[in-house]
Amino acid sequence: MQNLQVAPVSRSRIISNMPKPYTPEACHQYQTQFDAEVQTVCQQRNAGAIGLKMSKAVMVGDLYVGKTSLINRFCKNVFDRDYKATIGVDFEIERFEILGIPFNFQIWDTAGQEKFKCIASAYYRGAQVIITAFDLGDISTLENTRRWVQDALKENEPDTCSIFLVGTKKDTLSEAELERTEQDAVRLAIDLQAEYWSVSAKTGENVKEFFFRVASLAFEQSMKKELEKNRGNTAQIGVGNLIQLDGNSSDKRENETQLNMNCC
Amino acid sequence: MANSLGFQGDGGSVLSMEHVRSLTDLQDLKEAYERLCAEEKDVESELLTLLGQQTIVEKKMLALQRMGPNLQLIEGDAQQLSGMITFTCNLAENVSSKVRQLDLAKSRLYQAIQRADDILDLKFCMDGVQTAMKNEDYEQAAAHIHRYLCLDKSVIELSRQGKEGNIIEANLHHLQEAEQHLKVVVSEKFDAATKSGDLPQVERFFKIFPLLGLHEEGISKFSGYLCKQVAKKAEENLQLALGTEGGERRAALIFADTLTLLFEGIARIVETHQPILETYYGPGRLYMLIKHLQAECDRQVEKVVDKFVQHRDYHRKFQQVQSCMMRGSSTDKIEPRDLDPILSEVTLMSARTELYLRFIKRRVVSDFEVGDSMATEEVKQEHLQNLDKLIKHCLLSCSVQELIGYYITMEEFYMRESVNKAVAMDTCERGQLISSMVDDVFYIVKKCIGRALSSSSIDCLCAMINLSTTMLESDFREVLCNKLRMGFPATTFQDIQRGVTSAVNLMQSSLQQGKFDTKGIESNDEAKMSFLVSLNNVEVCSENIMTLKKNLENDCNKMFSQGLGGEQAKAKIDSCLSDMASVSNKFKDLLQEGLGELNSTAVKPQVKPWINLFLSVSHNIEEEEFNDYEANDPWVQQFIVNLEQLMAEFKAGLSSVIYENLTSLLTSLIAMELEKVVLKSTFSRLGGLQFDKELRSLIAYLTTVTTWTIRDKFARLTQMATILNLERVTEILDYWGPNSGPLTWRLTPAEVRQVLALRIDFRSEDIKRLRL
Ligand SMILES: Nc1nc2c(ncn2[C@@H]2O[C@H](COP(=O)(O)OP(=O)(O)O)[C@@H](O)[C@H]2O)c(=O)[nH]1
Ligand SMILES: [Mg+2]
Repeated sequence: MQNLQVAPVSRSRIISNMPKPYTPEACHQYQTQFDAEVQTVCQQRNAGAIGLKMSKAVMVGDLYVGKTSLINRFCKNVFDRDYKATIGVDFEIERFEILGIPFNFQIWDTAGQEKFKCIASAYYRGAQVIITAFDLGDISTLENTRRWVQDALKENEPDTCSIFLVGTKKDTLSEAELERTEQDAVRLAIDLQAEYWSVSAKTGENVKEFFFRVASLAFEQSMKKELEKNRGNTAQIGVGNLIQLDGNSSDKRENETQLNMNCC
Repeated sequence: MANSLGFQGDGGSVLSMEHVRSLTDLQDLKEAYERLCAEEKDVESELLTLLGQQTIVEKKMLALQRMGPNLQLIEGDAQQLSGMITFTCNLAENVSSKVRQLDLAKSRLYQAIQRADDILDLKFCMDGVQTAMKNEDYEQAAAHIHRYLCLDKSVIELSRQGKEGNIIEANLHHLQEAEQHLKVVVSEKFDAATKSGDLPQVERFFKIFPLLGLHEEGISKFSGYLCKQVAKKAEENLQLALGTEGGERRAALIFADTLTLLFEGIARIVETHQPILETYYGPGRLYMLIKHLQAECDRQVEKVVDKFVQHRDYHRKFQQVQSCMMRGSSTDKIEPRDLDPILSEVTLMSARTELYLRFIKRRVVSDFEVGDSMATEEVKQEHLQNLDKLIKHCLLSCSVQELIGYYITMEEFYMRESVNKAVAMDTCERGQLISSMVDDVFYIVKKCIGRALSSSSIDCLCAMINLSTTMLESDFREVLCNKLRMGFPATTFQDIQRGVTSAVNLMQSSLQQGKFDTKGIESNDEAKMSFLVSLNNVEVCSENIMTLKKNLENDCNKMFSQGLGGEQAKAKIDSCLSDMASVSNKFKDLLQEGLGELNSTAVKPQVKPWINLFLSVSHNIEEEEFNDYEANDPWVQQFIVNLEQLMAEFKAGLSSVIYENLTSLLTSLIAMELEKVVLKSTFSRLGGLQFDKELRSLIAYLTTVTTWTIRDKFARLTQMATILNLERVTEILDYWGPNSGPLTWRLTPAEVRQVLALRIDFRSEDIKRLRL
């Protein structure tokens, strides 16, 4: 991990503008720019004073819908026709630079098979992003996403996760079929409070756009959370010396204070 | 004149004839004349210098004339030289072309010899094969065929075209027939040897296959033979295992042991036969053998796992656990301790599997390294990827992963149930600041994560770390949270006054009994104890989590240094462990919350009235009262005694770190409240002195109860005392502005005036007039 931090971020993973959502009908926000406050903070801290930011995403969904393929297309730019069921959990770290800040995006790929679910579900905790995938050509997999999302949400604190619903294998459908399925999917996405995307790992269509969008929103969210926390802290300090327990700061002032005493 | 003018004109005079002729004015003519005269002078001097050079030119001419004959000589020599060079050049050209021809001839000769050799070899092979086959010398026959297969195809073509074309054609035909025949024979003989279990014969024919270009077939057949052996041995071992009596030493681990025997058997086979394979088939072929062996291994593993599941009732236990977890309490509750054996066995099975797969991987990778040393990067990558796929997706991996999946759920149950018990049985032992459940819970967590670690499976370990983190973060933190939420019962001033704190009494009496039950709290004092113990518990939890994390990091580094797991595994572990650190911080936050609560409910309501008593002590005093105060302290001594009593309870009941935090909160509180009452009082000169004494006593006392510096917190009060002690208003200027020296004023000018105004003997005009 330390090595990861040292090496520069690949030029193709630099984001400076908020990527657009797939459809305004089901998306987390419409803003075309990053949050103004976040932008300012990022500019100020450009020098690299902040520690490495990171977020965790878990990928869930039925067996064979193309979760692993989607990740492999994005992270390794490969597509494998051969099917190998994911066993246990796979893991990728994608390194971004967003608004000049290095950002490590962890993607946990879980197994869709029932028999591996026990181990997979142990990895849902602490996720900022839940990506649930379904096969655009198999409507039953869409229905199951509801349960997948519920399972993943159960392991996380309420209101800490953003959800993305992704239809895969876009290349296998005609325009008309796609339109029909997307209607259902968008409805479900709204219901789940998820952002909707259609992608194809085979052709690569929308894959990069999708992950850039997810990473950007996750980054913005985590920056906002940090800002919130800092605000809380300053408020506490404002209350006065009461809650100030920081040993260092009082030690630091000792000399000065002693002089004070001598004087009196 | 005209002539000379004409000459001059030709000579390029400045003035042309026409010009001169056209002149009519005397003045002009005169001018022209003068210019012509000057020109003439110039020409004359030029002529003179030229004439002066005449001798030199003549000398040079003479020398040149003398050189003439020599030049003729040189020309002759040069012609001769050129002829010679041309001749030499031709000669060299001649020689080298001959050498080239010779070279060509030589290489043709070699080729001819080679071809003759080949043809001879071919003949030799043709003859040899027949004899060898007749003598059942298959090695020899195969060697001949191998030689034939290695021959340049053009040689064979050439031989056909030769004079003896027909004979050779026939012989060739024989040779091909022999080749086919030999292939069949070797294959048959190999099968026969396999059937009779004749290892020397098996190996004998195994070595022949590659000579016939049948590498894959040879390896496949040989693997078949080895697989049969693996299967036979595995079958025996499984039967033995199933016959094991319950009381035997390793009965509880018998399926793990059976799996181990299977892996050891395969490892031994690889060790034994890899040299033969490498010698006769070349490096880079181990993968093929392993692929076959793994298929058999998978078949045998399936049987062992089936029997394991069946005999240990693995699935039913899992389902039972699952329903227990879902419904909370159920009728057929499982005792977590009863799960110990099966959990140990599964993790051992996983550990053996990881060890075996690591062995296989290492062997094949190093074989590929030799075999692919000349291969392109692409081929190398493809080989390694195939190997990874084989290892990741073989039935063995899948089966074990599945077992581990169930294990994880059972281990989680084990952990949760044990933790629940520890919480239910929580007591506080004599002399302990924390209660039993903290140690118990971390013992359990360590045990469960340790068991997951012993499986050598990174996924299993990470899952268990996550589950433990979740349990600590939500469930266990909730338990502590609830205890803290019950609060520290507020005690009235009178309660404290009733004597030495009763909680201390209770603590002492309960300590005499040795135990203190943290549940079923009835009295106020027990509630107090419970709160303090919970605070300590929270702090220890946050520390224990960090220790756990550090220990796990060490364990994992050890594991990685043994070659288990790759880059990805490290990143996975890092991610899970960093999550653990954030949970430790959540406990720290909870501690701060609890301390804040304690401060506002137990400390503040008591300390404030004590400080307010300051107001009832007049500081507008004269000599007599001052002396009286000297004899009978009116406020500060009692305040200190009260504080001591108040804090004694906390000092006894809180860990030193938390106590330090609390005293820090206390001193801040005192400083703030005291400032308020001082600003409400009035002071005489001696009253100021009195206050200064009181403040010094207080600071001196507080300094003894905390290791942190408190002077800083009392800086403002100290400066107020300084002001209240002044002789005259203007004396402040000795300390202010440019005279402040090392002193940093914490009071604003307005505040300084406000404090000065507290002195009844200072006139407000003087204070107003003050320039600060
Ligand atoms: N045509 C097409 N096939 C896909 C696409 N994505 C995945 N697949 C195929 O679907 C199968 C299952 O994919 P996989 O990613 O392993 O599914 P997972 O079980 O959800 O991880 C594989 O055979 C893939 O080749 C896609 O976008 N288009
Ligand atoms: Mg997969």
